[in-house]
Amino acid sequence: MQRLNQFDPTFKDEVMAEPGGEHLLRCYSCGTCMATCLVRRQYPDYNPRRIMHMVMLGLRDEVLGSHVIWRCSACDDCYEHCPQGIHISDLFKAFRSIALREGRSPPGPTARVNERTCVACGLCVEGCPYDAVELVQKRVLGHEKTVAQVNAALCMSCGVCAASCRSASIDLVDHSDAILFECMQQELLGAEVAA
Amino acid sequence: MVDASRHPNIELLTYTEVKRVEGFVGNFKVLVEQKPRYVITDHCNGCGDCAPVCPIEVPNEFEEGIAPRKAIYIPHSQAVPLVYTIDLDNCIKCYKCVDACGKLDAIDFGQQPQQKWLDVGSLIVATGFDSFDPSEITEYGYGRYENVITTLELERINNTAGPTTGQIMRPSDKKMPQSVAFIQCVGSRDERYNIYCSGFCCMYTIKNALQWKQTHPDSDVTIFYMDIRTPSKGYEEFYRRAREMGIRFIQGRPSIITEDPNSGNLFIQAEDVGLGQVIELESELVVLSTAAVPRADTDEMGSVLNISRSPSGFFMEYHPKLRPVDSPTDGIFLAGAAQGPKDIPASVAQGSGAASRATRILNSDTWEIEPIIAHVWEDRCISAKGKKCGICATKCPYNAIIVEQGKAAEITPAKCHGCGACVAECPHNAITQLHFTDAQIIAQLHALLAHEPEKKILAFMCHWCSYGGADNAGTSHFEYPASSRGIRVMCSARMDQDFIFEAFRLGAGMVLVSGCHPQDCHYISGQQVGAARFDKLAKRLEKMGISPERYRVEWISAAEGAKYARVIKEMDETLKSLDPKALKEEIERTRPEFERRLRRLPEIPDVAEALEMTVPA
Repeated sequence: MQRLNQFDPTFKDEVMAEPGGEHLLRCYSCGTCMATCLVRRQYPDYNPRRIMHMVMLGLRDEVLGSHVIWRCSACDDCYEHCPQGIHISDLFKAFRSIALREGRSPPGPTARVNERTCVACGLCVEGCPYDAVELVQKRVLGHEKTVAQVNAALCMSCGVCAASCRSASIDLVDHSDAILFECMQQELLGAEVAA
Repeated sequence: MVDASRHPNIELLTYTEVKRVEGFVGNFKVLVEQKPRYVITDHCNGCGDCAPVCPIEVPNEFEEGIAPRKAIYIPHSQAVPLVYTIDLDNCIKCYKCVDACGKLDAIDFGQQPQQKWLDVGSLIVATGFDSFDPSEITEYGYGRYENVITTLELERINNTAGPTTGQIMRPSDKKMPQSVAFIQCVGSRDERYNIYCSGFCCMYTIKNALQWKQTHPDSDVTIFYMDIRTPSKGYEEFYRRAREMGIRFIQGRPSIITEDPNSGNLFIQAEDVGLGQVIELESELVVLSTAAVPRADTDEMGSVLNISRSPSGFFMEYHPKLRPVDSPTDGIFLAGAAQGPKDIPASVAQGSGAASRATRILNSDTWEIEPIIAHVWEDRCISAKGKKCGICATKCPYNAIIVEQGKAAEITPAKCHGCGACVAECPHNAITQLHFTDAQIIAQLHALLAHEPEKKILAFMCHWCSYGGADNAGTSHFEYPASSRGIRVMCSARMDQDFIFEAFRLGAGMVLVSGCHPQDCHYISGQQVGAARFDKLAKRLEKMGISPERYRVEWISAAEGAKYARVIKEMDETLKSLDPKALKEEIERTRPEFERRLRRLPEIPDVAEALEMTVPA
């Protein structure tokens, strides 16, 4: 049995103070988001309705420690259908921002910048559909330099940045160019052997 | 209230009970009894000098027993009229109040109940409701745990004019609780107590929770609910505001509440449907949203006014959709929660409706009635011959018949609604119903059973329900065999035993008697009169040699077209399964007995003529 008093009642306020979290309390648990969600088809244990309810109850650790909050692909299908007009993908961004601030890391791959080779051309910034990449001033190897930087809370690991980068300075953890090339070679060689 | 008391056309009779109601629409006579206040209304100016000197303190009913009142008291400070009353059950007659009253000389221990008759044109019943006693639900611990209270108690605690001057404090330690849990549907939507939804509890709980959260933003406010019902204008927006204020809504009905005896805190166990898990919440105060229930004296009031009750126990309206303000008795109207749980806007609307319906009567010199009322043939009524009878009066759902020995039964046309109960019940066939005379119905019977009666199902249907059911079967395209023939009367109470005998005498294969479900009867208790008759008849017919499967009684509502079709289908199958030879034999065998019982039928005016009618093939 869950003891409600042991939960953190301020968690919902913390989420609501985060950009994107404003409308959390409007949710009356109708489940439309859950029924529309495409991600759920892949991950049956993914339930945005339940996550929002858990946030309202104050189940802080369970929410922030859950891999579920990183699953939302921000397709916004649920936002179109939500009767309370809650932008759920924004809400999930808020959960992730809090998680990152606490030093938690996303379970899946996100984009990673090689700051030494990045020339700050900004193609990745333009290409990113989730506004997860920005150009920042940074000290790299002792020099002040403008480089791309990925916000892990927003990154959906789509790989648009990696594909658009002209200097091969940005790629996905677990899905780097080298790994993908290797996979392709194996696939092609395997096909040749089979032929 | 003050406005009403000052209005030149309104006479307020407070502390007064209605004892008897006689007469009919436009001409009611009402006997009222003014209970003794032991304070002279004209002398008392409401100064309140008497109450402080009174040594007796008893729980104050208006304050839900949270605060005391004296034995000489006013119910609350806005009471109209502002006149004190002595509660003689608790008064010790020390007469200190008499001294305090001094020159006004308003106290009179010699007062007696006073009765008087009033002439009124119409009546409006607005007797309100009672609150469910939650101590019946033992798992919530009301009465056992001090900090489990009802909403009405919270209303008083939270009221600036209340006993705590609006300082919220819990009963056990008089401290402001930092957490509160509201529990919905206490005693309503529950088979064990009341199955209906009380309707307005969701809104008042949200109001209380919002008020609490606004004044104490840091406290923890939780509402346990099964469904939140916010059907009226602006209600959903209010609910949304409550959610956005940070009130915790948990869908799940608590199963048990336990108390920590040291802290007085309460532990509520419930399934949180949103979470899919059982949760436990510790709360410093629990507020139960109790059901609205019919007032304890509804039965008494109902019999004084001759109006009936719905299955829920509240007063029944004439028609749930088309005449929601009228009672089944003409000239009596219903307003507010006496008719069913209602919130303020709905009560005001119904009250306004009732007032305008009542004015309609007051402003008209004549009253239009249906042309189907009962009529007594005075020469046939045995009461006129000095014999004791009066069966008709006992069966009339509207008390429309007056029987005095030595005089023929007299029907008050304005009270008669034309159910026909008296007509069918009169053992001497001395009453008829206009447009539904015995002769007319018997003529129909003969026409319907003129050819091959043994292959027919004769169905008696009441106008409001089973005829509607048959109609519904037709419009909904529910097919049923063509062997049925229907006769419509206004109520199952009109379905005379003689008609059923005549149908069997003529050789009808099957007879179906159908009417409203008991709670749906449009003539208060007409269905019950019919049902009792049909019950006895089943045994009688069996004794007379009629196979039990040839006679069937079914209650079919106007919405039950499918049921009507099914019943006819089943009866048709049964009829077809009977051996035709045996059936013919049964008809021939039983006919003489029916003829014997019906030998006096031709004596009824016009019936002999109807019996002789022939129907072309």
